[in-house]
Amino acid sequence: MSAPVHVALEMDQSWRYAAPAAMARFCAGLKERRIEALRCGGCGRRYLPPRPVCGNCHLPLADWVPVADEGRLEAWTVVHVPILDPRTGRMREAPYGMGLVRLDGADTTLNHFLAQSDPARLAIGQRVRAVWREQLAGAIDDIRHFEVLA
Amino acid sequence: MNPVAIVGTGQTRHARARDDASQAELVREAAARALEDAAIEPRDIDAVVIANMELFEGRAWPELWVGEAAFAAGKPCVKVATGGTSGTSGCIAGIHQVASGLFDIVLVVGFEKHSEGHTQTGMTLTDPYWDRAVASGAVGNFALSVSQYMAERGTTERQAAQVAVKARRNAARNPYAHLQMPALTVEEVLASKPLAHPLRMLDMCPQSDGACAIVVASGTRARKLNPRPAWVRAAATRHEQPFIGDIERRLATMRTLREAAREAYAGAGIGNPLKELDVAEIYEPVSYAELAWYEALGFCEEGQAGRLIEEGVTEMGGELPVNPSGGVLSTNPVGASGVIRVAEAALQIHGRGGERQVDGVRTALATGYGVYAWADAIVLADRP
Repeated sequence: MSAPVHVALEMDQSWRYAAPAAMARFCAGLKERRIEALRCGGCGRRYLPPRPVCGNCHLPLADWVPVADEGRLEAWTVVHVPILDPRTGRMREAPYGMGLVRLDGADTTLNHFLAQSDPARLAIGQRVRAVWREQLAGAIDDIRHFEVLA
Repeated sequence: MNPVAIVGTGQTRHARARDDASQAELVREAAARALEDAAIEPRDIDAVVIANMELFEGRAWPELWVGEAAFAAGKPCVKVATGGTSGTSGCIAGIHQVASGLFDIVLVVGFEKHSEGHTQTGMTLTDPYWDRAVASGAVGNFALSVSQYMAERGTTERQAAQVAVKARRNAARNPYAHLQMPALTVEEVLASKPLAHPLRMLDMCPQSDGACAIVVASGTRARKLNPRPAWVRAAATRHEQPFIGDIERRLATMRTLREAAREAYAGAGIGNPLKELDVAEIYEPVSYAELAWYEALGFCEEGQAGRLIEEGVTEMGGELPVNPSGGVLSTNPVGASGVIRVAEAALQIHGRGGERQVDGVRTALATGYGVYAWADAIVLADRP
């Protein structure tokens, strides 16, 4: 049997996605450091990210409510292995902290970076606050990361 | 539902890189073995279901390129791609096709060849507005959920390591398994490379190249093709809301798997799964997940999963052996992994498990898990 033959290919691609209307309003708010959720008229759940329909009640969502840029750390990890940054195609430097943050005024949690990457200094229940970038682009990473409040 | 049974199974040798075979050749290897096991010819197959996550290989229309190798040319053929559940959902699709009465024999083939593409790229192609900027892949996602599960249940790293050891030890009795580590110790798991706190290298599944196939048959055909058909007593599937933050305490609540299992147990008439199931093949991509699934699947009360692994209840000689095959922790060609769960559960009923056969299996469970968004539960038995 002959040796295996492999075809090696490399490609550079770009994509362009249309934002849902609710997400467009949310992103416009981020440019002014404003976070808004959509509340379901049926179950009262306040959704981040905002979306067209409540998954539990199947009702259309239209009731915007304000959300703080502070909240409670509901889950955390420190990632030690470099992970591909899907927006650049380059590897993200490790280690870094990750958390699920329940912002005051929202019922779902936000998946985001943490300024802290020492496991000994992270705990579920800690209060955390968004650290915003100076240049705001209207995207979720206008928040650089969340810092643990003393 | 018309009576449906699994009458044949086949899988490839699974490995980190099967450089000796293309995707189509892997599919052919598994499909041909399943046909041989069921003692049928390609012409006997009425329809084919392919399970694969094509983003991982970066090759569009896998059902087209590998379908011929799965005997699908000139026949109805569809593809299922639902992350980790692709394989179990593909099996359920095949089961539904036969149960409907439309087809007598359906071949389901799942495959993945991770070594050829970019699994991590595929994993990160999530929602572009929310998840993508802050995604940390399967490992980071799991680690977040594990932190909540440990805090809530008091699960220890040692208990999770025991799951990792059990899987690789069982795999050593499975000639098809990828990671076979008969002498692995808890200490070695705890000393393995940290990936995302508290997960270590040996807590996680590998990425494997491989394929697996099952032959699904209608009742009358099944009785002729296999002396001990693995009858489908129930099959249930659940979808979930889109974002990781939508799910409250994910591993602790695990709504999708919990509800799929409840429906499957109700359909199969199972009241006490620990007592009434003889074996389970569950989709555990990480050691901690197996513990969480014990609770979601009703093998124990909430918070008792650690005790189950410590007392050896789910070991090969225990009351309910879980993953005699070595599970996903030992072998993970994603599109195939769910089919492997169903095939391994079926071959335990067929009595064709070789060195990994559990004595006297009459009822078996197979489950699937896809990111946090899907779960499947299938109950097989030696009677319709």
